[in-house]
Amino acid sequence: MRRLSLSSRLALLFAACTAVVSLFAGVLFNRASEAHFIELDQQQLDGKLIGLRRALQDLQPGQREARLADELSRQADLSLRITGTDGQRWYDSSTQIPKDLPQPPGLSTISNDGTDYRVLNAPLYPDKADSPQLSLLLDITHHQHFLQRMQHLIWLTVGLSALATAVLGAWAARSGLRPLRRMSAVARGISAQSLNARLPEEQMPPELAEMAHSFNAMLARLDDSFQRLSAFSADIAHELRTPLSNLLTHTQVTLTRPRPIEDYREALHSNLEELQWMAQLVNDMLYLAKADHGLLMPKREPLELADETDVLLEFFAPLAEDAGVKLTREGNARIEGERSMLRRALSNLLDNALRFTPAEGDVSLRIVDQPNAVRISVENSGEGISAELLPRLFDRFYRADPARQEGSSEHAGLGLAITQSIVRAHGGQIRCESEAGWTRFVIELPKGD
Amino acid sequence: MKLLIVEDQAKTGQYLRQGLTEAGFNTELVADGNSGQQLALSGDYALLILDVMLPGRSGWQILHAVRSAGLDTPVLFLTAKDAVEDRVHGLELGADDYLVKPFAFSELLARVRSLLRRGSATQQETSLQLADLRLDLIRRRVERSGQRIDLTAKEFALLEMLLRRQGEVLPKSLIASQVWDMNFDSDTNVIEVAIRRLRLKIDDEFPNKLIHTVRGMGYVLEERGA
Repeated sequence: MRRLSLSSRLALLFAACTAVVSLFAGVLFNRASEAHFIELDQQQLDGKLIGLRRALQDLQPGQREARLADELSRQADLSLRITGTDGQRWYDSSTQIPKDLPQPPGLSTISNDGTDYRVLNAPLYPDKADSPQLSLLLDITHHQHFLQRMQHLIWLTVGLSALATAVLGAWAARSGLRPLRRMSAVARGISAQSLNARLPEEQMPPELAEMAHSFNAMLARLDDSFQRLSAFSADIAHELRTPLSNLLTHTQVTLTRPRPIEDYREALHSNLEELQWMAQLVNDMLYLAKADHGLLMPKREPLELADETDVLLEFFAPLAEDAGVKLTREGNARIEGERSMLRRALSNLLDNALRFTPAEGDVSLRIVDQPNAVRISVENSGEGISAELLPRLFDRFYRADPARQEGSSEHAGLGLAITQSIVRAHGGQIRCESEAGWTRFVIELPKGD
Repeated sequence: MKLLIVEDQAKTGQYLRQGLTEAGFNTELVADGNSGQQLALSGDYALLILDVMLPGRSGWQILHAVRSAGLDTPVLFLTAKDAVEDRVHGLELGADDYLVKPFAFSELLARVRSLLRRGSATQQETSLQLADLRLDLIRRRVERSGQRIDLTAKEFALLEMLLRRQGEVLPKSLIASQVWDMNFDSDTNVIEVAIRRLRLKIDDEFPNKLIHTVRGMGYVLEERGA
């Protein structure tokens, strides 16, 4: 079922509230006027009753009717019936008096032939048990008409005010919700090309400011990821273009005319190198894609980091010796993770460190066992990395040294990105710190449980 | 020694067969799952190389049928999908090895040889030898032309691997995996350096070079004449 729009809902609620309030006020007013009329009538009838009793007591039976007529003639809307103790009608001051009147003593209201009466029943002699009954009738038709008009007026007011508030409420709600519509307009306008659109947070009402802020933050994150992704695709194309064009050119040139067998062999070898580089690139990218999709699920084997890193140090020892670099490890910690993944992550860091350490330099791997985490740092001496480049180090295809040529046997610049993916898959974080003279990569891995 | 390749991509299958045939294996190639399964169930093969996605019948189904029939023919899977579930699924079904495309042929060849060797009983050798190079497995000593050569533990392990698989081209990734237990693609040149250092000790002083680089593929230990 389609939900009502927020403005219609608010308008309807406003209308309902106004209707209830005005109905309540109207009913209250109506009741009050009615009660007021009854009170007036009661007073009037009571006064009349006293006069009539006195008149009837003092008089001799012969004079009664004349006196009654005289008494009643002063007030046209008043009539009188006297009923005997046996129920016999003794006297009617007017022929229009309804046949049946309410019996109980006191005030009541009846309606007959379009005329409304207030009837006051009272004994003629209040101190006698079997007194004839006096029924005083007051024509209150005009009161009733007034009350009816009042009622109509009330209903009209209720209806009109509800309608008016519905209309005004709809208008108010619409203008009150304008910031929301602006938000949705911005959202509607957002596509891959316009992720830089933002909501004006300071112009938003406080209720929406927080939402606008979250919305903007979401846009910023999307924008950032999208930028990286677009750059990634562009970089992939760019990275593949060089080896592909080498392959194409070399193969075509080789085939243009007959050559000695050695040339063919050379061409194939050269192609093989390009192809291997491309295969490595594709495999690395698939690995990263897997990480991006959360498919990198490390096993949780218990690992002694000292043992693990010593194996790596042994692996890199020939390279370090060759480069004249001292490679050391200190500290130990236990951790749960996947051996081959962590080896890959650390081997990228070590490889990287060795590559940028000048001869006679040091590469040191430190393991610090902290209460809730394990810190593994790989530090190398040598030229530092300038601060503005640090955040970009883990970007794919990023090479700190722009002069380094792409393609053949060189690194595609995915190593640190892969290391970061592995660390993240283990729930950890990696960062790089650098100053003149040293560079340090710091991995922080949470200790399971 | 007969190998069966079940691969539906014509080019891939053809190159695989050519490569394996030239490496000295008797190789048969089929392109669809059903005939692949029929042949595999005949039990005539020493090794099955199966693609996962095949017309008619998937590589997994073939593997399942083979294992159900009680055959323990080694099975090497080739796949374009490197999903973890796939790998686990394949290994659960009893696959012996797994290669993800794109892979290098030298890698495939090395693995094929490993799988075939696994079946044959490993004889207790006490020493390995090629030409005048001799490796004593018991005393862990290496000599060339009677001259004692000192090797580090890893250099010894590397030379032992080269000697055991002499004549085979060993890709760097396989060496890293077997000698250093580094089971991931790495573009580091550690292996090159290690080989260079081993050469320095084994080959440099002798005219008859034994360690050879096969460009773009790996390293091989063999005698190629002076």
